Amino acid sequence: MDSLYGIFLYAIYLLTMGGIYAVLVMGLNIQWGFTGLFNAGIAGFFAVGAYTSAIISTASSGRHLGGLSLPLWASLPGAMIASALIAWAVAWICIRLRSDYLAIATLGIAEILRLVLKNEDWATNGARGISRIPKPFEDLPEPWNQIAMLLLVLAILLVLYLLLERARRAPWGRVMTAIRENEAAARAAGKNVEGFRIEAFVLGGALMGLGGALMAHHVKFIDPNMAEPLSTTFIVWVMLIIGGSGNNKGALFGAFLVWTLWSTSEIVTTRLPAEWELKSAYLRFFLVGLALQIILQRYPAGILKEHRPIGK
Amino acid sequence: MKKSFLITGAAVVATGISSAFAADIKVGSAGGITGPIPDLVAPMMAARDLAAKHINEQGGLLDGDNYMLVKGDSKCDAKGAVDTGQKLVNVEQVVAIIGPNCSGATIGMAESVTIPAGVVILSESATAPSITDLEDKGLVFRNAPSDAYQGAALADMVMESGYNKVAVTYANDDYNKGIAEVFEAAFKSGGGMITASAEHEPEKASYTSEISTLSRSGAEALMVFAYYGSSGTTIIRNSLENGLFDMFFGADGMRNEEIITDIGADNLRGKIMVSAPSSDTESSSYKMFAEEFSAAGEDPSAVYTPGSYDAAFLMALAIEKAGGTDRGAIAEALMEVANAPGEAIMPGQWEKAKAAIAAGRDINYQGASGSIEFDANGDVAGTYSLSVIDNNGKWVEK
Amino acid sequence: MNELIGFVNFHLIPGIVLGSIYALGAIGLTLTFGILRFANFAHGETMTLGAFVALVVIDLTNWHVLATLPFAMLLTVLTVLVMDRLFFRPLRTGPTVILLIASFGLMLMMRSAIQIIWGVDLETLSKGLAIPWVLFESLRIFPKHLLIVGAALLLMLGVHGLLRHTPIGKAMRAMSDSPELARMTGIDTERVVMATWITGAVLAAAAGVLLAYDTHLDSRMGFRVLLPIFAAALLGGLGRPYGAMAGGLVIGVAEELSTYSWIGDGPLVSPGYKSGVAFAIMIALLIWRPSGLFRGRVF
Repeated sequence: MDSLYGIFLYAIYLLTMGGIYAVLVMGLNIQWGFTGLFNAGIAGFFAVGAYTSAIISTASSGRHLGGLSLPLWASLPGAMIASALIAWAVAWICIRLRSDYLAIATLGIAEILRLVLKNEDWATNGARGISRIPKPFEDLPEPWNQIAMLLLVLAILLVLYLLLERARRAPWGRVMTAIRENEAAARAAGKNVEGFRIEAFVLGGALMGLGGALMAHHVKFIDPNMAEPLSTTFIVWVMLIIGGSGNNKGALFGAFLVWTLWSTSEIVTTRLPAEWELKSAYLRFFLVGLALQIILQRYPAGILKEHRPIGK
Repeated sequence: MKKSFLITGAAVVATGISSAFAADIKVGSAGGITGPIPDLVAPMMAARDLAAKHINEQGGLLDGDNYMLVKGDSKCDAKGAVDTGQKLVNVEQVVAIIGPNCSGATIGMAESVTIPAGVVILSESATAPSITDLEDKGLVFRNAPSDAYQGAALADMVMESGYNKVAVTYANDDYNKGIAEVFEAAFKSGGGMITASAEHEPEKASYTSEISTLSRSGAEALMVFAYYGSSGTTIIRNSLENGLFDMFFGADGMRNEEIITDIGADNLRGKIMVSAPSSDTESSSYKMFAEEFSAAGEDPSAVYTPGSYDAAFLMALAIEKAGGTDRGAIAEALMEVANAPGEAIMPGQWEKAKAAIAAGRDINYQGASGSIEFDANGDVAGTYSLSVIDNNGKWVEK
Repeated sequence: MNELIGFVNFHLIPGIVLGSIYALGAIGLTLTFGILRFANFAHGETMTLGAFVALVVIDLTNWHVLATLPFAMLLTVLTVLVMDRLFFRPLRTGPTVILLIASFGLMLMMRSAIQIIWGVDLETLSKGLAIPWVLFESLRIFPKHLLIVGAALLLMLGVHGLLRHTPIGKAMRAMSDSPELARMTGIDTERVVMATWITGAVLAAAAGVLLAYDTHLDSRMGFRVLLPIFAAALLGGLGRPYGAMAGGLVIGVAEELSTYSWIGDGPLVSPGYKSGVAFAIMIALLIWRPSGLFRGRVF
């Protein structure tokens, strides 16, 4: 196979994954960037979305719930609804908490969700996960199947971006910013602060569910390990903060940038001299961490700043 | 000046990315280098490298080409495996992949990357029964027997050792849970009694409370299905220190020297037996591997390492047999070089194998981990044996 | 009677031991939070570092585990101070979420560095089995457990003394309560921050060494206990060291008691859900008291 063609395929994959992460980051941007809700349980909503779409779209296997074999137009909305419902329940319990308490509470809830997915075999096949999840367009010849998947992700991303930009400029978005910047004033102006917060939390949760569903279809397999906080929650936070919290363009940019850094760093570290062989995999994450520090110090407000005056 | 610098730079990058050195034949070596079981994976990667070293010392592949293993970190997770698989297949342009280690990672990489790309993968440690059913177009192989074999074999062996009432604890991951389920079913149908069974969440600091609840069920022994590092050692330690159990059985995830150095050979001798794919340590194949691997400063009793060596060696044989770097031809050749009939080739005998292939003779690799005969699903049947701790504080087959 | 002894031996005592270790970790975390206002994700790796320094000292000298504590603490403190200087100080004027992300990056870096230096294998500080003292023919007390709980208590007393009776401790409390006010009254912020890192690192190193002493150590041990430690710190109320002590004990004991057969013969909570117990308690408490157990108290 031609090596340029290989790099082309890898680039498509890289963009597809970056796009899926971008959906997650946009979800977080609604919660944190617009409204100031510190959700550290992204992995939980991600997993609910992924499992829901897996259950809706797989053929019957006898090992987990499902057997509906429904297509994408059912599994993606289904995943969003399931995640939104869970997000609504979480918001109902936690929305009054101060930001850092909210962070750790959501982190805890995500862990509990992961344990449920791992322990309730009848529904999820437990630790063994769900395989044979259909991937959209997989019957097309290569590379069109991969290009089509990428286009699907990018189209979803574009729609989300346009909708969110609109919402951000609309009165709804301005109330959100007001709540983030000065909760007391928003309350004094007669706004139902809790209600708006719950809305933002649920909306963000739904997008995270969508991201999870896309990931499940893309990888074609899902197990509870994919809901580990490290590879899902933290990396999405890093993407948002680096890209520029509160700015949808920043969220997109951060997702693609950080994912590219995360993935391509391995290509570099495997080229280290032989005595580094195995250690290069460990070194890779050292370098990723270091790159993160450098970017943070150079762009403390994110690479693309929010277009509004920042309060504190 | 600046322009020429740029061109040189581009050339360097291009050299790095494509295989510009015609003398390198790249094969992916994917494994969970980081992730939850880095300690188990490290010696497996070393064993694969040892095979590559032997091959390159004895003339290399085809026309003296360098057998180059490109490492990929699959993180023991499907998402990580897909990521590293994409890079191995498309960027590194490997002709085949050895690994990944964990079952979830293997399914993810196979379904999403390597099957569509037509790249053959051979894992030495992915043991989930569900891998058998993958629609893999003959591209997914493993030289570790499915858990279904080990659980059943262990049930027989425990009963033969005279234990009929056991309690079971298993780490809640795909590997350990799979074996535990098969074991329980086989043990019951063989007339044994499971007095209590409970999963445990790996990576906790203490398991005293879980084991004490199990110990009150009147069992004669405790079945520990866990990786030694993430919970197995702690469970044995907690049990012995508190006098809760004094007889343990485990599967191959427990077979590691660390558990002996940690708890002490004298404290464990006669109290623990673990099953592992019987590599028939008396066979000259295993001895050859064990000697070389020890000489490289590694532990040949580390779980799956003989299989790792075999996987890397088999893949090289397949490339040699295919006579080139065509991915499809390599996949087809893999079964031929592993299965009987043919001239027996043992670990380290690359020159002999190369000569045989050049002469057009069939070969049949007799690996360090066993004779390795793939069935139509790309699986191998398992023979298992129990290991105990000998007077030198090493694992030996009983 | 047997039931009760079993309960004490196998559930309560391990719970208290684990709880003391959680408490030590949680104090450091909560102090950093109180003064610097961010959740430090690198705290687990700081614990791991302490444990590995102890391992090096034991390999070199064969001393008792507790004798390695000063070395573990010293090296951990130095590392943490360098980290602060390089990675946290330049960001301290910005929003605190940046510090949190920086701590995440640091977590990756520290773990990788530990894996590069010491590898990924399981190691142990005290080889072999511990032999318990058996009291009243059935109560089993392990000397190592007494030492762990004792050391933890001493350190907690030390923290108490520091916060109550030293000028720097009082400044730390003041700054945790109200940073603006503290600055206005002329407290040297940098000194307080440094003291906070030192205290947190000392306690984290101790928690790591004691955890390794009780079980074993490897490159991922700190991350493994990070989430329960977060739960403990939050349970006690962030920024409240005494709350963290209580929170640590509650979480440790609750995890171990959850698998006791309170009703019937089986464990109350399936052990598969054991690590969820800490969070379930935490969330239940948050519904009842949205800012933790010790919300009203000033340190």
